[in-house]
Amino acid sequence: MPIEYEILPFLDWLLPTVGERYGALLQFAASFAILATLGLLVWYLFAAIRLGPSEGFYAVAKVVFNAFSQDLPGFSLRRTFALARLAIQESVRKRVFVAFIVFVIVLLFANWFLDDNNPNPGRLYLGLVMTTSNYLLLVLTLFLSAFSLPTDIKNRTIYTIVTKPVRPSEIVLGRVIGFASVGTAMLALMCVTSYFFVLRGLNHTHEIAATEMAPTGEPGANSWKGRTSFDAHHRHEEVIIENGQGVTNLEMGHWHQVTVEGEGDQRRFVVGPHQGMLRARVPVYGKLGFLDRAGQPAAEGISVGDEWVYRSYIEGKTQSTAIWTFRGVVEPKFPNGLPMEINLGVFRTHKGNIEQTVLGELFIVNPNERAKFRRSEVIPFSSREFEPLEMFLKREINGVDARGKLVPVDLFRDLTDNGALEIHIRCAEPGQYFGMAQRDVFLKASDRTFMMNFLKGHISIWLQMLMVTSLGVMFSTFLTGPVAMLGTFASIVLGYFSNFVVKVFDGMFQGPDALKRFVRELFGIPEEAGVPGGGPLESFVRMLRQANQTSDLELGIAQRPAEYLDVGFMLVVRLFVQLLPDFKKFDNSAYVTYGIDVEPNLLAAQIVTALSFVLVTSLIGYFFLKTRELAA
Amino acid sequence: MNSSTAGSVASPPSSGATQDVVLETRSLSKDYRDFWGRRKVRALKGLNLEVRRGEIFGLLGPNGSGKSTTIKLMLGLLFPTTGHALAFGKDATDVSNKERIGYLPEESYLYKFLNAEETLDFYGRLFNMSADRRRQRVNELIQMVGLDWAKRRQLKEYSKGMTRRIGLAQALINDPELILLDEPTSGLDPIGTREMKDLILELRKQGKTVLMCSHLLADVQDVCDRIAILHQGELKELGRVDSLLTVQDVTQMRTTKLSKEAEDEIRAVVARHGGEVLGVENPTTTLEDLFLNIVRDSEARPGRRAQEKV
Repeated sequence: MPIEYEILPFLDWLLPTVGERYGALLQFAASFAILATLGLLVWYLFAAIRLGPSEGFYAVAKVVFNAFSQDLPGFSLRRTFALARLAIQESVRKRVFVAFIVFVIVLLFANWFLDDNNPNPGRLYLGLVMTTSNYLLLVLTLFLSAFSLPTDIKNRTIYTIVTKPVRPSEIVLGRVIGFASVGTAMLALMCVTSYFFVLRGLNHTHEIAATEMAPTGEPGANSWKGRTSFDAHHRHEEVIIENGQGVTNLEMGHWHQVTVEGEGDQRRFVVGPHQGMLRARVPVYGKLGFLDRAGQPAAEGISVGDEWVYRSYIEGKTQSTAIWTFRGVVEPKFPNGLPMEINLGVFRTHKGNIEQTVLGELFIVNPNERAKFRRSEVIPFSSREFEPLEMFLKREINGVDARGKLVPVDLFRDLTDNGALEIHIRCAEPGQYFGMAQRDVFLKASDRTFMMNFLKGHISIWLQMLMVTSLGVMFSTFLTGPVAMLGTFASIVLGYFSNFVVKVFDGMFQGPDALKRFVRELFGIPEEAGVPGGGPLESFVRMLRQANQTSDLELGIAQRPAEYLDVGFMLVVRLFVQLLPDFKKFDNSAYVTYGIDVEPNLLAAQIVTALSFVLVTSLIGYFFLKTRELAA
Repeated sequence: MNSSTAGSVASPPSSGATQDVVLETRSLSKDYRDFWGRRKVRALKGLNLEVRRGEIFGLLGPNGSGKSTTIKLMLGLLFPTTGHALAFGKDATDVSNKERIGYLPEESYLYKFLNAEETLDFYGRLFNMSADRRRQRVNELIQMVGLDWAKRRQLKEYSKGMTRRIGLAQALINDPELILLDEPTSGLDPIGTREMKDLILELRKQGKTVLMCSHLLADVQDVCDRIAILHQGELKELGRVDSLLTVQDVTQMRTTKLSKEAEDEIRAVVARHGGEVLGVENPTTTLEDLFLNIVRDSEARPGRRAQEKV
């Protein structure tokens, strides 16, 4: 599963590290200060235009002063919860739970459109329920939050509220809490329903007829080999049993344990429940380094021209090596050995035998150069391009001594240095390449429970719902319902595609032009960065003219005005995107789908970010509502 | 009839007994502007008035005269263009004032998906009332407005009069010192109107201050102590109702029924004193009193039918 950003320990993420990073807390504080200052300046500008410089200053100062002298001390949780309760009652009596019925209908008819022969039905089912829950909930909260306050203002029911001792902050927070509560109830229902839907949908077993199994080994060894029946659109072609216990092969992302019961004519082969589809692996990640084809250290591997630069590559049958350095590799954490998972990309320069996988080799290296045993034997493996490869490095392994001889060693005692260990991977075939990113290889400390991970995935949906709710309420404090809804929707889309927006902006300032060079320096835009094609106006003209993105666009005298309009628009969007959270980073459904535990550090960072976002949007909503003439 | 009335010029704002002044406006003006800031309508022009503690103050005027605008400015629903609106000596937008104010809008503007109990309970929570106090107050008010029989029905099923009564109940939920009523009798039948007026008088007896605005003159005349008349955003008249309405140069005398000879003798006495008898006729009751009497009679004796009186 690609993870394109680094997940830091929570405190490292939150607090500054001298010489390395500012930390989230400092970044939030700085962003908040800049936003507050700019907001006050813009507000004063508008007030000065309407009322004059001194009256305008007084008007702004009065509101800010009242915010701290009256509204903050007088803030009441009871009033806030009363307003939240009203929002819940409104939602319930307007039949909001119809959305849950839509969800159930989607699940009931899921089998009509799910691919029965999908090679990984676990991922399919989990992807379906997570995606459906996510989108349905976001749409629901989008409508609830964007339309509620404008409807109150239009119907004037707000009059009977603001003429009571209610602060605007209580109105804003009351709505956020109320709609978030409705969303939480909906999500809880969806979560429980999804969980049982997935369990039930994936639940299956096989039978093994005695005629399908042939004895292996010595007579009486109770060892068998055979295959299972065809059930749930698949069969396990390999069943290997030794001493009465065995497993099937991995098929459609899972396997079964098989036991032999009884003897002679009463012998039965009992297939257990599926395993491997619903997991929560806890990965231990290392730090990735490279050696180039001459065996010299390199910052990264080779680029094979792939647009997606997530992975870099090592060349086969050379000294080119990818090295993962792990820490904390100690016996209590990994009894008996090192379970690990490898997810490599493969780039073929010649087809070779396309049905055969590309071979690779792996060995363990002790980082301590003075260790008695510096490395283990070479362990060959067959790469899997689209599925994870699971390997188990036993504790009793062969190491290479000073004379180059293989001798049995203990992995923890002889090949680690204070818990540090390196895993080297090479491609064994000439002309072929292995691609890797830092998180493509990891050790598996243990498995956590799938149910807990499933819940954590839904917590991330809840956080997205919370942010959408607060955005919708904020926009609704100064926009009409439909416009607030559009604004919230646009913010979500921009949040999801913030990287692309930055690339479009960066691409607009490439070239030798002095002004463009100045902007590049101002924003720190690297040369050759971004995507070509210009902003929305230029793209629209290209579309009409059917011109591709890289060709020169001659607009004559309209060239400059069009460019400036685009620049102006994209500058606003670029700055706005800076304020939005990256919604992609809040989507933990891939973790659940791929069976990887959602790291507590990640979840903690997401929670803090979401709550900070809610706080800021609530503040903005408060000031807009406070300065709004509700009866105008 | 030569009639002159006293107290016809709007008196300047009094600075004397300011501790008795509950509401005050000082050169209050309001312009409604469009999106570009251009003035569309001048709704209020330099309004100066005071409302004193314990009185019922009427704000009269035709439609569009600025009555509702004035009330909304006093409640902070609108912001003044120039001038000030003060409540209890503080700026009208001061949120602490709202603890002591009750407001009945011109349409009740309540949440239709709530029932009467839920509505009053919700507004009670907004005053941080404890659960027991809230429950007690809700029951009191529902009884007071006579809606005990419909308290569990959602407001979307209520008639206009019923909604108006719940609107009044929510205005009184916090037992306010000052009550602002915008067209309180609008939409009410004569019985409801009479009950509303009785309630307003009762509020005054309790020492509360009431500011009501209306264009129904008879209602205002019956209850208000002082009135202000607005027209096109300007204050045209201000003073006590009895002073404004008293016709100074006519003496009215009411007697029991007199014979023709007695009437002639009285005319002669008036003429001897240099006066002139302007008219002698039987007085008329009001249509409201007639209506109320008929309704009471009908409730006491159902089935009796009327005959047309020529």
